[in-house]
Amino acid sequence: MTDTHPQIARRGPAQVMRLSRLGSLHQCRLSFMRQLTRRMARENWRFTRPVFDIDTNGVGHAVYTAHGPERAYSLVAFAHDLPPEQRSDRVIAEAWDATFTLFDGIPTTEDIERLSQNVPLQEAGRVSENELSLSRANRSVRLWAYVVDALAAGKQPDPEQIYKVGYLMRTTAVYGSGKFGAADRETTADRPELSAPFQTEMLSVYLTRTFVRDLVQHMAQAKGGDETASLDPAIAQWLGIGNSTGLGMAPFIINHPVLFNNWIMVREEAIARVRSVPHATPDRMAQFRAIFERSRLSVSWWRSDHPVQIDKLAALRTDLDMLTAELTQRDLTEHHPWDALICWSEDHLSEEGQELLASLILEPYGDLVDGLVDCMADSNAGAQMIDGSMSVAQVRALIRQSFDWALDLDWQEQANCARAWYVSEEKLEPRLGERFEEPIAEYEQPLAPARDAAAAYRALEDWADTDKIAAFLLHHPEHRHTIRRAQIGRVAPYGEIRDNTISANVLPIDMLRAKLSFFGATQFDPRSDRWVRICMYSGAPYPDELNTENADLWVYPEALQ
Amino acid sequence: MNLSLNEVEATAKRAMRGVGHSWGPAEEAAKATRWLCAQGMDGIGALAKLTKLQSAQPSLPVAECPIAAGAHLSDQAAELRKEDITLQDIVFPVLLLPFAANVARFLDTPVSVTMDKTQFVTDGFALTTAFSVPEQASQITIKRGGIMIQTHPQCTRATPDPADWSELNRLAHFTYAPATEDSRLRGAGAGLSDND
Repeated sequence: MTDTHPQIARRGPAQVMRLSRLGSLHQCRLSFMRQLTRRMARENWRFTRPVFDIDTNGVGHAVYTAHGPERAYSLVAFAHDLPPEQRSDRVIAEAWDATFTLFDGIPTTEDIERLSQNVPLQEAGRVSENELSLSRANRSVRLWAYVVDALAAGKQPDPEQIYKVGYLMRTTAVYGSGKFGAADRETTADRPELSAPFQTEMLSVYLTRTFVRDLVQHMAQAKGGDETASLDPAIAQWLGIGNSTGLGMAPFIINHPVLFNNWIMVREEAIARVRSVPHATPDRMAQFRAIFERSRLSVSWWRSDHPVQIDKLAALRTDLDMLTAELTQRDLTEHHPWDALICWSEDHLSEEGQELLASLILEPYGDLVDGLVDCMADSNAGAQMIDGSMSVAQVRALIRQSFDWALDLDWQEQANCARAWYVSEEKLEPRLGERFEEPIAEYEQPLAPARDAAAAYRALEDWADTDKIAAFLLHHPEHRHTIRRAQIGRVAPYGEIRDNTISANVLPIDMLRAKLSFFGATQFDPRSDRWVRICMYSGAPYPDELNTENADLWVYPEALQ
Repeated sequence: MNLSLNEVEATAKRAMRGVGHSWGPAEEAAKATRWLCAQGMDGIGALAKLTKLQSAQPSLPVAECPIAAGAHLSDQAAELRKEDITLQDIVFPVLLLPFAANVARFLDTPVSVTMDKTQFVTDGFALTTAFSVPEQASQITIKRGGIMIQTHPQCTRATPDPADWSELNRLAHFTYAPATEDSRLRGAGAGLSDND
């Protein structure tokens, strides 16, 4: 990471890595979706639809190809006629309204034939090294029929209905990186367009959104014939792709401490750089105020029925009112205006409001922060290797660095270890169970780093400060996982969550939200404490409209004229 | 059977855990298996044989297990600067090679591994070929230096013997909790309707 020596230090891990704060993160200009759309516009990507072979029942397939400067990628989409009783977003589902793969290049007829026998089966099928992702989507029952019927009757759908739901289809899993036979990330990680995290998945969803727009028009046409209206592009723009995300993402951020550190540290570095700006020019101030207003509109569309999120949204709306009042009083011409605003927010706003503001102050400063996105991938494979020559004293210090708060916790107390993460036999997906009520403890996954760190720390008490950790590990292989994590802490100070991930009151949705915010998701809508719905690409230009003017700030809505 | 290396690593980790190893050693075994497959070596076959032996003989001494010995070798990487490291009586010693590769990367120099009469050299990224791959070795010497000639081409996929792959999957299965309707509802979070 380039160090420009900001005068204001990054916020520390003890402040940032708490679950309640991670569960309040918002998208920002470093988000993966915005990185992708900026790149595609900058590099003048071309988009084609070589195949759209779908019948009047909505069954068939289509191919959407994105042509980059050196390579092409094709979304191969299969549309199905799904009986309503089979429609479920749960991972246990076995059929979907549409299924997809992102093909590396341009598929031949033989490729499509092979994919047609596998992609619709999802987890039960196999893809190959020519495919980069595997995904599926279901229609929004609320919005799909409404939009088809409106268009078929020659009318435009009411934009209010669109804002309420935000999408016509939601993906229920987007698998990448070697899953079900697809290419490993390592095979594409050195391509500039895919080197940043999750660019494959973000491209797949971007093309999926276009397919869904085309499909709803096609189905309306089949129903309404010559009377059918063409969906108004100004309305289509606000159709995103929904996503239902379950527990799989929570283990991901624990299992990839270097990667997760890089995301958080880059955002913190970006915030520190902007806070260190001595004076804001009138132009930058105006940019910030404009984005703030647009962000208010976005928040006004945000709905959730979950009690936790209802409370957080109420607090956020109060925050926005206070911030609005504060911004009318402050003229931002003071010294270090952004730092002053952030300091004010820490005393006056909820974590939702603080984190929204922290994301928003980055917007006028693309020149200061956008270069940091090159540091968000994990290219440090060497971090996994344990340095056995390290002394026991050094390892103890590393454990204290991330887990000092956990060492004195009573880990025998039921409330402190009430939960256990496990993998179910069914579809092999992660779940969270009640340790003292279900027979799951023997299947527990290593997803309680704080508890395990406390145990290793205790075991180290019997060893001398100067002993080498290699000797300890020879006798205690059961602590090897924890010692590795402790050493990873040297290069990944933001790699560990500073909260108990198995406590009776842990909210897994906080972990899901942290990850999804880096994707660039908006409209977080928890449906329980373990799964959440979000919206992706709402407001984004479609491929045929994408240009350098609209490739970045699309996430902030502007009121319809 | 054509697998991504991620599939290899994920299944190898679960299989080792399924045999009863802790997660840390299971991670070492998984990365080792993946590394061998990336060199075009039959890492899955070696791990399947090792886990079969360990299922039958859970008390295999640490000193004979190539994963435990390999992890310790990797932990002592700095020691190889001063002197050679020797090991005795290791089963499926090919599984030591990925750990020697760790040492080579750490020291930024090729490392030679002599298993009785068979020698391999690795610079951490590639591996020289050998005429045969021993199933056990009574005397193993690891030393700095060696010439990287006739290396295996790098592979991005693994094509194991289906029986070996099935064996690893069978063992991996021991790490999965049986599904119940209760766990389906509680474990994954039922919550509000998902079909609206």
